[in-house]
Amino acid sequence: METVEQLVSFLHIQVQLSGGAPWGFTLKGGLEHGEPLIITKIEDGGKVALCEKLKVGDELININGSALYGSRQEALILIKGSYRILKLAVRR
Amino acid sequence: MTAVESHMTYSNSYTINNETVYMTQEDDWDRDLLLDPAWEKQQRKTFTAWCNSHLRKAGTAIENIEEDFKNGLKLMLLLEVISGERLPKPDKGKMRFHKIANVNKALDFICSKGVKLVSIGAEEITDGNGKMTLGMIWTIILRFAIQDISVEETSAKEGLLLWCQRKTAPYRNVNVQNFHISWKDGLALCALIHRHRPDLIDYSKLRKDDPIGNLNTAFEVAEKFLDIPKMLDAEDIVNTPKPDEKAIMTYVSCFYHAFAGAEQAETAANRICKVLAVNQENEKLMEEYEKLASELLEWIRRTIPWLENRTAEQTMRAMQQKLEDFRDYRRIHKPPRVQEKCQLEINFNTLQTKLRLSNRPAFMPSEGKMVSDIANAWKGLEGVEKGYEEWLLTEIRRLERLDHLAEKFKQKCSMHESWTGGKEELLSQKDYESASLMEIRALMRKHEAFESDLAAHQDRVEQIAAIAQELNELDYHDAASVNARCQGICDQWDNLGTLTQKRRDALERVEKLWETIDQLYLEFAKRAAPFNNWMDGAMEDLQDMFIVHSIEEIQSLITAHDQFKATLPEADKERMATMGIHNEILKIAQTYGIKLSGINPYTNLSPQDISSKWDAVKHLVPLRDQMLQEEVARQQANERLRRQFAAQANIIGPWIQTKMEEISHVSVDIAGSLEEQMNSLKQYEGNIINYKSNIDKLEGDHQLSQESLIFDNKHTNYTMEHVRVGWEQLLTTIARTINEVENQILTRDAKGISQEQLNEFRASFNHFDRKRNGMMDPDDFRACLISMGYDLGEVEFARIMTLVDPNNTGVVTFQAFIDFMTRETAETDTAEQVMASFKILASDKNYITVDELRRELPPDQAEYCISRMTRYIGGDGATGALDYISFSSALYGESDL
Repeated sequence: METVEQLVSFLHIQVQLSGGAPWGFTLKGGLEHGEPLIITKIEDGGKVALCEKLKVGDELININGSALYGSRQEALILIKGSYRILKLAVRR
Repeated sequence: MTAVESHMTYSNSYTINNETVYMTQEDDWDRDLLLDPAWEKQQRKTFTAWCNSHLRKAGTAIENIEEDFKNGLKLMLLLEVISGERLPKPDKGKMRFHKIANVNKALDFICSKGVKLVSIGAEEITDGNGKMTLGMIWTIILRFAIQDISVEETSAKEGLLLWCQRKTAPYRNVNVQNFHISWKDGLALCALIHRHRPDLIDYSKLRKDDPIGNLNTAFEVAEKFLDIPKMLDAEDIVNTPKPDEKAIMTYVSCFYHAFAGAEQAETAANRICKVLAVNQENEKLMEEYEKLASELLEWIRRTIPWLENRTAEQTMRAMQQKLEDFRDYRRIHKPPRVQEKCQLEINFNTLQTKLRLSNRPAFMPSEGKMVSDIANAWKGLEGVEKGYEEWLLTEIRRLERLDHLAEKFKQKCSMHESWTGGKEELLSQKDYESASLMEIRALMRKHEAFESDLAAHQDRVEQIAAIAQELNELDYHDAASVNARCQGICDQWDNLGTLTQKRRDALERVEKLWETIDQLYLEFAKRAAPFNNWMDGAMEDLQDMFIVHSIEEIQSLITAHDQFKATLPEADKERMATMGIHNEILKIAQTYGIKLSGINPYTNLSPQDISSKWDAVKHLVPLRDQMLQEEVARQQANERLRRQFAAQANIIGPWIQTKMEEISHVSVDIAGSLEEQMNSLKQYEGNIINYKSNIDKLEGDHQLSQESLIFDNKHTNYTMEHVRVGWEQLLTTIARTINEVENQILTRDAKGISQEQLNEFRASFNHFDRKRNGMMDPDDFRACLISMGYDLGEVEFARIMTLVDPNNTGVVTFQAFIDFMTRETAETDTAEQVMASFKILASDKNYITVDELRRELPPDQAEYCISRMTRYIGGDGATGALDYISFSSALYGESDL
């Protein structure tokens, strides 16, 4: 559980992408690696870049309303499971 | 009856003066006589009795008044008796003319008494004329018994009457108005008697109605007790209407004379008593005076010495007591005496006055008790008194002053003594003996302060002495103790002065010595410090742990050491000099008896430190020599080792290098088939393994070298590390190269790549392997890709890099390169694809085994997978099963979405 402090110190951003894969970002890390899930790349012209909300280094915390517990596999499954619309919540 | 008026002129003159008539004869008696013979009878009786009352004193008497007086002798006798005077001698003859002459003598005598006799002749008397004789007798009675009666300026008959009235006044039942009827009841007579002699008659028992009894009582009492013969007859008086006045007068006159005489006697007695009383009083007064005077004089006599006593008392208290006593004297004791003196004077004056008034001689007090004596004594007393009071006051003042002075003296002495208390001890202290220079200086300053304090007290001592002097001059009673104390103080003062000076001298002396010592201490410090430093340095140097790696180095150390040894004598001299200073200090201290604290204020270095250090240094020198020599030996040994090692290394090094090159050539050269390469490599491997013993030997030598701490070896450029590294590299290279070849074989076999393809790959790889180390760095790789037609963007290239170099080593191995080149699909970077590949390798299982990995993949990748893959969790898993699925997804670390 995040502490209040932790919550306070982070900036939370939510985006809604539509149009289906590829969404145009690269995700690195994961619980398997012992790292947080970080957006390491945003492809120019990709859907993420067009929404102009997300940035490299953002930590993914919520996909389609489901809070992530940090597993990459989970995140991948959730993302790949989104057909047309992808809702992401990040913090930085 | 007419009152008789007779003017009596009392004359002092005794001589008969014819002009002065004392008494005139009563003229009326003749007529009366003729008329009343009763009276004549009465008169005769009475007169006879009266004459006899006088004549009995002469021892004679008459019986018949006419007859017995005829010859005049008894008449003359009678006159003599009643007058108390001598008549001229009677004639003794018996003749008529003798008798007449005698009678004349008697009559002359009567005349000489101032009685004018009228019609009485001597012849008639001689002839016995009764009437004339009676008349003559009456004249005599009148003259000698009545005429002299004087009662309050009333004389003779009136006087007698007055007297009777006076005397009988108290008796109510008596009223005397005349000499006849008033006397009839006899009470008057009784009253008269009772008045004077109440013891003779009980008057209360008398009754008016018993005149005869009364009269007889009176007559008897008078005769018996008053010596008044009966001259009257009670019956005659009572029976006669008017008794004979003359007879009564005659009888009453006897009473008068009896009582008056008594009275006179009484008066005389009173007078005498009075006079005597006065005398007695006077005498008493005199006695009193004398007594008082004596007392007073005695008191004065006692008091004067007391007032004259001028012995001074010691204390003011006593003097004040004296003053008090004096005051008491003045207020209590003297006033009564003053009073006494006053009284004395008064008494004296009174006495003198009384004496003078009573016509007595003046009082002459006895010797020494005269008024003048008393006055003188008193004056003396007062004089002494005054002087005494003055003296007392003076003395008291003096004592007061003395007390005050004495107190002042005591106070000053006490204060002074309290100041001087302990000072002698302080001054006698030898505290400077064991003090440092600073302390000495402090003591000196303290002493200076004390000296000025002492000077300040000088005048106090002088004051004390002055007071003592004054006390002496004023004759203080305890001057002895004062002087003693003053002397004590003065002596002590002198002593203090002496001690002060002594101390000053001592302090100065010690200060100088200490300054000298201090200088020496400083000198010592100045020399000892650098010397100590030098010694410390020397010690350091001598004990210096040297690490030399060459003989030259040790040689230079030896040289240095020898140079050092050369300086020792100089150093020793310096040491001696420094110690010499210390010895000097000791000498001075000993000579002058100064206790050194042993502490040098300028340095912590003691001579012992210097000495011991010097000894240490000296001790170290040979040790150093030894050490150096040992080192020389060691260095030589090392040199030997070096050479030995070098010899070895110089062979081994190049050999390895050669091998390396050869091996790399083998892999790089495209000559021959992979198998051939393999064989050749194996050969090399064998060589290398065989060669290991050399390496070991070298290691042995190296170890020796290392143990001998040989870190450099100029005899060879090859260090053990070089060799080791080279050897390991060699080993690795050979292994890797073998591996590579194996992999290539594997890959070739797996992917069906022909030798030629492989050779092509190899050529490309070699071409871009600029460094010729069997690896490409990313730039090389990129260039290579470009050359092959892959125009990659940054992103793509990066992706590819990650694929090619998953371990992020930064280089692309040939193997990886081949892998990449022979990748079936371009998009092998999805986890799913990898998973699919794994699945193939795993023969479609959901897990892959270690063996399969090892079999299918090149060894290092296989190991990589093995180490990274998690154990497969699934019911269908066998032991050693690994989960490639999760591995695959995690493999890239990235997922492109």
